[in-house]
Amino acid sequence: MAKKAKSRTITVRLISMAMTGFYRTMVRPRTHRPLSMLKYDPVVKKQVLFLEATKGGRNK
Amino acid sequence: MATPQAASSLASKLPTRLRNFFARYPPQIYSTTVRPPITVPKPAALAQAAAGAGAPNATTTTTTTTTTTTTTSSTSSTTPITDAITESLLPSPYTPNREAKGYQPPDHKYSDALLWKGPKGQLNPFLPRKLGERKWEGPRIGLRRQAELVKLARQFGVEELLPPSRKSAEYKEARRAENQGLAVKGTGVGQKVKGHKWERTMEARLEDRRKAMLEMPEMVRLWKQRGHGRGWKQWPKK
Repeated sequence: MAKKAKSRTITVRLISMAMTGFYRTMVRPRTHRPLSMLKYDPVVKKQVLFLEATKGGRNK
Repeated sequence: MATPQAASSLASKLPTRLRNFFARYPPQIYSTTVRPPITVPKPAALAQAAAGAGAPNATTTTTTTTTTTTTTSSTSSTTPITDAITESLLPSPYTPNREAKGYQPPDHKYSDALLWKGPKGQLNPFLPRKLGERKWEGPRIGLRRQAELVKLARQFGVEELLPPSRKSAEYKEARRAENQGLAVKGTGVGQKVKGHKWERTMEARLEDRRKAMLEMPEMVRLWKQRGHGRGWKQWPKK
């Protein structure tokens, strides 16, 4: 039986680089480059860099 | 402190509840002041506190109490018959002699010895009484009322005129000295309260966060320089 097709988009987790443990969840196309953006972190109450968390370091 | 003159003047100052109690249970019959002297030695910690010496001592209460009990047991088991039974006829764990097996009489503790049962025929109203083999009669005055009376008496400085109670200061002090091992874990000398994991790791986490925030402007500058993440290499791991 054929395997189920992979979805076009994936859900990713953007982790705050302020090391607060805060993260945002986003959806991006599977083939897109990893997401990164400046966003507000409510723990430190500042806009900080959020980077996408890699699963086993696949994002290159 | 309970001279008759002082007592009469004192009695007028006491609240009704205490006066009623002393009328029902006169201090000259029931109180701690007329209790026969206690033969059980004080716990080491308590004796030290009384002596005012601050030096820590490794000897515990149990050692002192066991020495006394062994002396009593040896004196009681000196009859030739029991000696013969315990030594020759019976295997060591089995013996009808309770004292030879290390039985300690119930008032081997200093705190227990403090709880005087009262003079003959006049029972301490603060203590329960054993009726026969298995039945117990509760104290005339329950623990809650005892606590209230003791607090009230302490307020008026007449605590020692009450009968010995589990709620009295001296009993509580003795218990605390005896059961040092049962104190709240981590609060003793040289001990540390374990705390929750979030409490233990809080300092390190805050330090990490502080460092990260210090490096943040530089990180953002690099990120912008590398095309807003296009040339970024150090992605965090999940």
